[in-house]
Amino acid sequence: MSLLAFRRVAMRLAGAALLLVLPALGPSASAADPSQLVQSTAQQVIDIVKNKTGADRQAAIMTVLQASFDMPAMGRSALGTHWNQATEEERTRFLKAVATAEARAYSERFGQYAGQTLTVGKVVPRANGVSIVESKLNQAAGQPIKIDWEVRGDRITDVKVEGVSMVMTRRSDFNSYIQNHGGKVDALVQELESRANR
Amino acid sequence: MVESLSGTMRRKARRSLVAMAVAATLMGGCATGDTGATEVWDPIETPNRFLFSLNRVVDIIALRPVAVIYRDWVPEPAQKSVRNLLDNLGEPVTAINEVFQGDPNRAATTMARFLVNSTIGVAGLFDVATMLGLERTKEDAGKTIGLYAGVEPENGGFYLMLPVIGPSNARDGTGLMIDYLADPFRILTFNLAVDWTAYQAARYGMNVIDYRSRTIFALDDLEKNSVDYYAALRSAYTQNRADLIRQRREKTDTKGELERRDNLALVR
Repeated sequence: MSLLAFRRVAMRLAGAALLLVLPALGPSASAADPSQLVQSTAQQVIDIVKNKTGADRQAAIMTVLQASFDMPAMGRSALGTHWNQATEEERTRFLKAVATAEARAYSERFGQYAGQTLTVGKVVPRANGVSIVESKLNQAAGQPIKIDWEVRGDRITDVKVEGVSMVMTRRSDFNSYIQNHGGKVDALVQELESRANR
Repeated sequence: MVESLSGTMRRKARRSLVAMAVAATLMGGCATGDTGATEVWDPIETPNRFLFSLNRVVDIIALRPVAVIYRDWVPEPAQKSVRNLLDNLGEPVTAINEVFQGDPNRAATTMARFLVNSTIGVAGLFDVATMLGLERTKEDAGKTIGLYAGVEPENGGFYLMLPVIGPSNARDGTGLMIDYLADPFRILTFNLAVDWTAYQAARYGMNVIDYRSRTIFALDDLEKNSVDYYAALRSAYTQNRADLIRQRREKTDTKGELERRDNLALVR
């Protein structure tokens, strides 16, 4: 009896919780379908890698990065606590240098297109409009690679390859570099800029 | 009166400062989402960096070139057979760990794989077991410890750079030692007083080359796109291991893991 009553209460609570959650889910779900976003972004990148090379490819990748990724948020997150110490000018230069470095990394990473395809799996919603899109990158040879995409609103905010988050790794990397160069953001910005010009 | 008032205020201010610091730490930890840790604990960074540079010298002049030749020149089927052979020799250790992870079913499957591949699979050269539907799993003692340690899997104790083997930490280093000691093949040859040193050396050597050949792409990429390779590798290694342990935890405790994630997301 008491168990039944408890169940009824639990059901009602669950119902109430659902009602509360639904409107919160509404806008983000209608704004953009996260798995659709990941799918189309991956397709764009694959097309670029197939058809373009060199500077053309880098420029095209940059366009995709700017359109589908939340580059300012990722950059800010990658700089961590040093973001607050950085001047406005340093921030702008840093974001620009990071975007260039990322575009370059992506365009050089794939080299020749070797028949990779992306299979998008399930979408795991989190609070604050964040959802994780799980996917597998199938290779011609060898095991598929696990890639998780963090999507906030209609932008991708992080990519995790085999559990390794791009933003987290950059953050450790940048943080350590800044610490070893007198705690100055400027040193990092200069290094990134000189790499971009190489 | 004034004295005591300023005293309380000071105390209050101090307490709120502590609260703020705690809150900031929590937020910092959660700001990145899944991965709870912000920075890897690395108290012996200087010796670690020193060993890392030695490792890189060995890697550049010996390991990587051999791995590249192995990857590019050895025919694909031969590489696959070597991989299967090495994997097969590793199955008993995986089975032992699966028993200790509280998954005897999985351990039985692993042992079945070992028996099938060692016989029908010609001493492990062919992975017949996978064709029969017995899927391969790989477990190590580092993961077993991580499964039971009541901390975030990003926290594996202090970071440790091992000679030749590379990045590790207190947890995984201990695990490596346990796996080495528990390895039936090592114990067997030791007890039978057969001198299989050469075979053992060949096995460990091949494992290193095979592993290095499969990490060339990822490590080259990481090195090229980082400003501090040591720090980037430290972070990537820690996250990758944490992810493996987290997957294992999710399998055993799905509900608890989901709740924990929800809580993290809520704080964020």
